Amino acid sequence: MTQRQPVSRRTAIKGLGGVAIGLPFLEEMTATSAAAAVAKTPAVPVRAFNVFFGLGIPAPLQTEGFDGVLEPLRPLSKKLLIMRNVDQVRCDEKGINAHFDGASGAFTAEPPDGEAKSGGPSIDQVIRKAHYPNGMPAGMVPTLVGGTFFRRSRVSRYVHSYNDDGTVAAAMQEKPRDLFNRVFGGADIPKTEAEMRRLRISKSVLDSTVEQYRYYTGPNSPLGAASKARVKDHLDRIREFEKRAFRMALHGKTPKQPPKSKLLHGGQADPGGQGIDITLQELTEEWRLMADLYALAIQTDRVRFGALTFLAAGERIRLTGRYEYAGRKIWDFDDSKQLNASGDKGCSHEWWHKFNEKRKNEQLRAHAHMKMNEVAYFLSRLDDADSREANGRTILENALFTVSTESGDGRHSNVKRELSGVFHAISGANGRFKTGQIMDVGAEGIDVYNSMLDGMGVSNRLGPARRDGRAVDGIRV
Amino acid sequence: MNMPNETHVLRLRLTPQAYVWGRVCLVVCMLGMVTGVARADRVATDLIALYEFTEAKGDTVRDRSRAGTPIDLVIDKPGNVQWRHGALVIQRGVAIRSVERARRLTDAIKQSNALTVEAWVKPANTRQDGPARIVTMSDNTSNRNITLGQDGGKYDARLRSGSTSENGIPSTASPNNSLSTDLTHVVYTRDASGNARIYLNGKQSASKKVGGKLDNWNTRYHLILANELTGDRPWLGEMHLVAIYKKALSPKEVEQNFMAGGGTVITAAMRDTSAKLFEAEVAPILARHCLECHGWKSKKGKLDLSQRNLAQAGGKSGQVILPGSAAKSELFKQVLSNDMPDDRPPLSRREKQLLRHWIDTGAVWSTASIERSAYVKPIEPGGNWLRRLTVTEYIETVRVAVGVDIAEDARATLPRDLRADGFSNTAYNLGVDMAHVEGFAKLARTVAQRMDVPKFAVRFTKQRKFDDATLKPMIAAMGKWLLRGPLEPREIDAYLSVAQAVRKEGGDFDEAVSFIVEAMLQSPRFVYRVEKQRGDGKPQPVTGYELASRLSYILWGGPPDDALLRAAAKGELSTKAQVEAQARRMLRDPRARKHSQQFIYEWLDLGRLDYMRPNAKKFPKWEDALAADMRAETLAFYDEVVWKQARPMNDLFNAQVTIVTPRLAHHYGLTPGTSGGVTRYDLSGLPARGGLLTQGSVLTVGGDEGSMVTRGLFVLHSVLRGHVEDPPPCVDTTPVPTKPGLSQRGVALARLANPACGGCHARFEPLAFGLEKFDGLGVHHEKDHHGNTLRDDGELAIPGRDKPIKYQSSAQLMDLLAASDRVKQTMTWKATQWAIGRPLDESDTAILEDIHKAAQRGGGTYSSLLTAIVTSDLVRKTRTEPQP
Repeated sequence: MTQRQPVSRRTAIKGLGGVAIGLPFLEEMTATSAAAAVAKTPAVPVRAFNVFFGLGIPAPLQTEGFDGVLEPLRPLSKKLLIMRNVDQVRCDEKGINAHFDGASGAFTAEPPDGEAKSGGPSIDQVIRKAHYPNGMPAGMVPTLVGGTFFRRSRVSRYVHSYNDDGTVAAAMQEKPRDLFNRVFGGADIPKTEAEMRRLRISKSVLDSTVEQYRYYTGPNSPLGAASKARVKDHLDRIREFEKRAFRMALHGKTPKQPPKSKLLHGGQADPGGQGIDITLQELTEEWRLMADLYALAIQTDRVRFGALTFLAAGERIRLTGRYEYAGRKIWDFDDSKQLNASGDKGCSHEWWHKFNEKRKNEQLRAHAHMKMNEVAYFLSRLDDADSREANGRTILENALFTVSTESGDGRHSNVKRELSGVFHAISGANGRFKTGQIMDVGAEGIDVYNSMLDGMGVSNRLGPARRDGRAVDGIRV
Repeated sequence: MNMPNETHVLRLRLTPQAYVWGRVCLVVCMLGMVTGVARADRVATDLIALYEFTEAKGDTVRDRSRAGTPIDLVIDKPGNVQWRHGALVIQRGVAIRSVERARRLTDAIKQSNALTVEAWVKPANTRQDGPARIVTMSDNTSNRNITLGQDGGKYDARLRSGSTSENGIPSTASPNNSLSTDLTHVVYTRDASGNARIYLNGKQSASKKVGGKLDNWNTRYHLILANELTGDRPWLGEMHLVAIYKKALSPKEVEQNFMAGGGTVITAAMRDTSAKLFEAEVAPILARHCLECHGWKSKKGKLDLSQRNLAQAGGKSGQVILPGSAAKSELFKQVLSNDMPDDRPPLSRREKQLLRHWIDTGAVWSTASIERSAYVKPIEPGGNWLRRLTVTEYIETVRVAVGVDIAEDARATLPRDLRADGFSNTAYNLGVDMAHVEGFAKLARTVAQRMDVPKFAVRFTKQRKFDDATLKPMIAAMGKWLLRGPLEPREIDAYLSVAQAVRKEGGDFDEAVSFIVEAMLQSPRFVYRVEKQRGDGKPQPVTGYELASRLSYILWGGPPDDALLRAAAKGELSTKAQVEAQARRMLRDPRARKHSQQFIYEWLDLGRLDYMRPNAKKFPKWEDALAADMRAETLAFYDEVVWKQARPMNDLFNAQVTIVTPRLAHHYGLTPGTSGGVTRYDLSGLPARGGLLTQGSVLTVGGDEGSMVTRGLFVLHSVLRGHVEDPPPCVDTTPVPTKPGLSQRGVALARLANPACGGCHARFEPLAFGLEKFDGLGVHHEKDHHGNTLRDDGELAIPGRDKPIKYQSSAQLMDLLAASDRVKQTMTWKATQWAIGRPLDESDTAILEDIHKAAQRGGGTYSSLLTAIVTSDLVRKTRTEPQP
């Protein structure tokens, strides 16, 4: 597998020239009143991230616990609550298979509302709005959405953070360099007096721009709610830009970019839904760089909310390569050959369609195991020494990480089966939720999510206002 | 024009509050006139007694005629009857009689000398006789005013008049064996001239002269149902409705009441409510819950609920919607009991209530059909996103506004706009990322640097004094141009502060203008199309400047010109005629022609060609430049048909011409031109090729194998505006490879024969049969690589049309598509969605019908279609939200 050295905060900050990136935002940690109001322990802000992986784990395989495809999560088992038997059937949109509506329901518990909209907000955004009603600390990335994926016919296959109105909470960063620039990018440093002079005038240009945007988000704005929210979003990014362009320039340091991606992106990554050939080495190398950078963004407190995707819903890749775990061979991937098909029918997601609990399902197991290994990689990056925080816990323990997927069974022929038993795992969120268990919650995803919101001190709820919810208290400490 | 239509014309004039409903009513009236469809409400004039049996319990049947003091009826033996879903089931002998004498009825009929007795009944058998009394006004077995009864296998009516006995004899009877145990609409009428008729289920069944006046009627008689007053002529069965009129209903009125089913009298106000409910609530409910099985194609139980006429006619078991009575409507009964939808989640309580209310108020259809694709993926109509300029619009706006071509920089800097719901200009998906903010700032700076600032500034002021007095009017004038409308004082002050910063840094007038331009290019009023969206929650006309921008971005893809801004300033965009005049002017401008290509680019997703990666083993001669050539072919063809020849849009499907590069000509097997450039080919001698669907840009949607599934779905979705569920991909989705003796057609036919797949696949795969001779890259063959003979005959199943149309060749298929009104409608829908930048929803359907009609009246050309769109309320008005 990948030979690349992980990016750590320590080395990154050193490489970036010290405090230029990290400190302005680390300073905010202790000044966040919302965080202080909720978290009993000092200097631990409220954070929530959604981690999505495509295609899912069939419910019968989840019952095998860490002896099966969940094995890679075993090292983190004490810091996670694995939830089985979570029902997302309400997310079904008739006539649409679970790749789309199940993926849209992950973290929102709502079916999609259009090709690029969710039916409601995702839990990370509900938490963000509740704890940071006036926006994030200046200069912080409000929401970071990233991922390594290839299928992109509909947005909710790969974006997993949504605003109240169902629109995406932030643009997807699908290349490590793009994500890096989104988080750590800076402006050109003025070197001459002429450039400094231009910078000062540009500040007035930006001030006038901010003023215009502020007007359209204010009480006299002629805009309706959705438009106002859109302009507010724009204003947040201008302020972030302002912070970056002027503060970082004065610090005099800009980060060094990671290398260009070698993989296909954009429309080329999904040529007509026919799938692409990719090796395990190529896949994991880019993903792990993405995971490192996302983790670094959290560690340096540049971001507190967002979503990360490892392979899209209904992903179409023809994977090849030897997969080893803990020194033993798990599988030799060669989807197209093993499926005896080319194009989309030679892609790994066919194994999900062919799932049969009475059979070995070797290929599906290998893919699912690999996915868990990569999810575990990301989570473990937030559980290392660089991630130890003031209260003695790691970021994985302090923040809320919700891991989920699109379906509980890859066979499309039965909606109930397909959207029942959808895998979920959460972290403890600084002692708010139980960890170290595999729990059969036997509840709807919407009730699980709302119980999580309750646990996070958020009064807003997902789903219809008049719905009679059921508290899933078993997950709470 | 019949009575209900007149009623609605009147309402149109008198109801000022809802322009929408006025228009809907007008459409209804027009449809009524055109189709001659019977109105689905009951005759209310001269009604004097009405019993609907909707009480559901108790021993009283209420008179609901509202024609004076109600003549309620009492059931003498309640234990012998049962209330059931809006009917009274008479299981054993019973008399249901008026408490008082039916004097009001008797007097009215004596005065008019005419009457109608109407009933919806279901006899328990065909044997009861006497006649067994269904409806009677009588005293005993020998004295009566009127009796409608059952005499074995026929209905019998006895009427006392100047020419009959006190027992009403001789009677008038329907033919032998005309009575069945089905629910039947039976009507007896006698007019003032003595013509008596019996109608069964809307059709005249018997007639007779029963002369003489009715002034010999006895005013002491009671009204009695299901028996004689003496209790010895019982009738058993179900009573669903009984009505008495003081006139003889005309045959048309009888048919009208039959079509209306058994139910309440429906007033114009109720119809308004019903129409409103249909458009806003019921059509979506039917679309989401019913049409999967009872749509134009599936028609389970021979019931098609997707079209008004067919839905009203009912299915195998008869009418399922009885306007005015949900309780008697089989559709509602099935829904209420959760028996329907079959094997699907039941309707919610609210949905059931809405459905009930709609039927009870008349079950009015405000459109001729339900466009399922408008409802299956509902978009909240309330979501009103302001539109960020797309990258293409941004480039054009900069070019027009300041004369700088920023295309290359913008495309390299700004994130690509992603497609959502078929178009990349869908407002809700035009979000803003950090890269946009950075990009707008960087591009604004680049633009300002590339401009000829002094030349630009002089357009707005002749002075060059660097003081506030000079700058303020200059900013106001420049801002009006760059920001597409007048500036407010706060905006002028904000830009003035930029100039002041320049002055503070020792800059000059030109530098100040340069930075002000830079600021304006980042303003929300430049980056977005800002409109006033606050109001009373109802659609309101947009302002003149807003409309100017709407017109220019829809027709040109860029900002308004001076003429539009002048018209806005003078209030000359306030009438439809003014807007139409501007549209015609603008459509003559080359910008309209150029911008129109964006429509076909988006509609056919021509950007997809950038990512084609055909299997190199299967297509060793493929080169990427061919994909660009294919796109160029389609754009050139579009320009040829739509602009040079100014033909109707639907001619795009069968125009026998194309324009290709030598490379693509060679690929297609055409003789490459000698000029080295693109060559125009007259394809009239090559019928297999001609029209959009025979071009490589479209044929490649089917992938390397030229999948009939994918091509068929493309035609269904993008050409016929049909809807089919996403798979289940059956049990095993692995495609069956072709082989000697088994062509793609053979594979498809096997799939269609598979009950697990065929139900849905039959709706779209045959659409691609006509394209079978084109391989995955659009090359025409008579045989596949196995030597199997290929065919191009098939069937065209058009959504909403009863039967598929057979075609013998791809050329015939193209001709059928070009002639199809469904295809024309699709063009209207697609162009409208593209123009307004959002998915269409249920609230748009009535306006879309208007647009479509107007476009077709204008010849169905691009110009007529876009003119119809921009003069419609979808463009001239905006949705508003109340102040929070």
